Amino acid sequence: MQQLSTLIIPLLILFIIGYGLIKGIAVFEEFVDGAKDGFTIAVNIIPYLVAMLFAIAIFRASGALELILTLLTPLANFLGFPAEIIPMGIIRPLTGSGSVGVLAELINTHGEDSIIVKIAAVIFGSTETTLYVLAVYFGAVKIKNTAYAVQAGLMADFAGFVAAIIVTYWYFS
Amino acid sequence: MLNKIWGGLILIGILFALGQDISDEIFNTHKNNIPRHYKHIPDLSVADTPTTLYIILTLNQTQLNATIKDDKHIFIQLDEQSPAFLRELATLNGNKNQLRATVVSIDHTHLGILLPELHWCKLRAVTQATFDMAKFAVKLAMGLIGIMALWLGLMQLAEKSGLIKPLVKLVQPLLHWLFPNIPKDHPAFGSISMNMAANILGLGNAATPLGIKAMQQLQSLNTDKNRASEEMCMFLALNTSSVQLLPPVTLIALMGTQISELMVPIILATSCSTIVAVSVAKFYARRNKNTLRRQT
Repeated sequence: MQQLSTLIIPLLILFIIGYGLIKGIAVFEEFVDGAKDGFTIAVNIIPYLVAMLFAIAIFRASGALELILTLLTPLANFLGFPAEIIPMGIIRPLTGSGSVGVLAELINTHGEDSIIVKIAAVIFGSTETTLYVLAVYFGAVKIKNTAYAVQAGLMADFAGFVAAIIVTYWYFS
Repeated sequence: MLNKIWGGLILIGILFALGQDISDEIFNTHKNNIPRHYKHIPDLSVADTPTTLYIILTLNQTQLNATIKDDKHIFIQLDEQSPAFLRELATLNGNKNQLRATVVSIDHTHLGILLPELHWCKLRAVTQATFDMAKFAVKLAMGLIGIMALWLGLMQLAEKSGLIKPLVKLVQPLLHWLFPNIPKDHPAFGSISMNMAANILGLGNAATPLGIKAMQQLQSLNTDKNRASEEMCMFLALNTSSVQLLPPVTLIALMGTQISELMVPIILATSCSTIVAVSVAKFYARRNKNTLRRQT
């Protein structure tokens, strides 16, 4: 698995450059021409990233998450899934590094074989950090009114969360 | 919607921190002005002087070196293993390796000390997090420059040599259904399919630049440059639901060999989230169209 992932990128680069050379393209010039946009895009993203990251940081640092967790635990018990995975569901759409931290902590306390870690890993693998992706993609083209993109992204995350719990229980039973 | 989520995160965060700090003040959770009593033994490795005593404090099973000056002030030496609340107190008072406190009582075995007062912890943490993240955002964006340039360069090369066309032909029917308003053979289809390919292969850092390229091309087709178009929302929904066959590299690193048995559940769950993402985006697009029609 890991080998496949490491092989893809060099082979892809080899293929793109090789094909360009065969087709008689000025490979260096075209590459440089395409690459020159990298800086402007990154700079355009900054205000969007600052806005998004600092709001998320305030929310996380305040400890409001623990309150939500205590409120949601009875619900999780009622529905019959472990409450330990709720932080994963809440943090995942907000921050990538935060959700890595949550998963690492779950592995530490429950072990890789536990159903809790398996569900959390499936949630991690099947959803994205929606707000980050939103900030980066819309920041790059300077779109301020995001229409209904957030709704679609967050509902997809929620669906991924529910599906991860159901599928993991079904698959490992 | 984004305005409400964004504002909500900030409001809930600050109000919650404020509420907690006020309750800490009322119930004196940090035990301000209440002396704490710890066991101590003399530190025999260093000789005492008339004004300075060298002792070892025992505190929650950890031992700390400390010096008492004039029977009044105590300087506790801290390191990485010291209890977290002491380290935090010391950092707040300017020196993270040494905590200064007042001695209120001393006998042969026990020592009573008054630690510096602690107020408004949560609000301070919130402020710190705000500044840290503002700085981190720039660091993150700067880190993207190189990766972005690399993939944009390769993308341009692949486009010019005609490498992308066959790929686009392959997925054209599906893409045409997802993005009905993009004209046939528009370069946006190329970037979108490259972005999807990168997502499917789990190449997170290639997917972002390629996705941005696609976003730019969608923006060139957009009639209102400030508002996200139907296509942009659909494209974003696809990206946030993470269409993928190979799991992301970070997950592989965290889970190790366990990852292979999680492949099937991940693919199933991610398919569910993708289907929901597409349906929601389609639903809103149709609703928007209907309201527009009613208005005209």
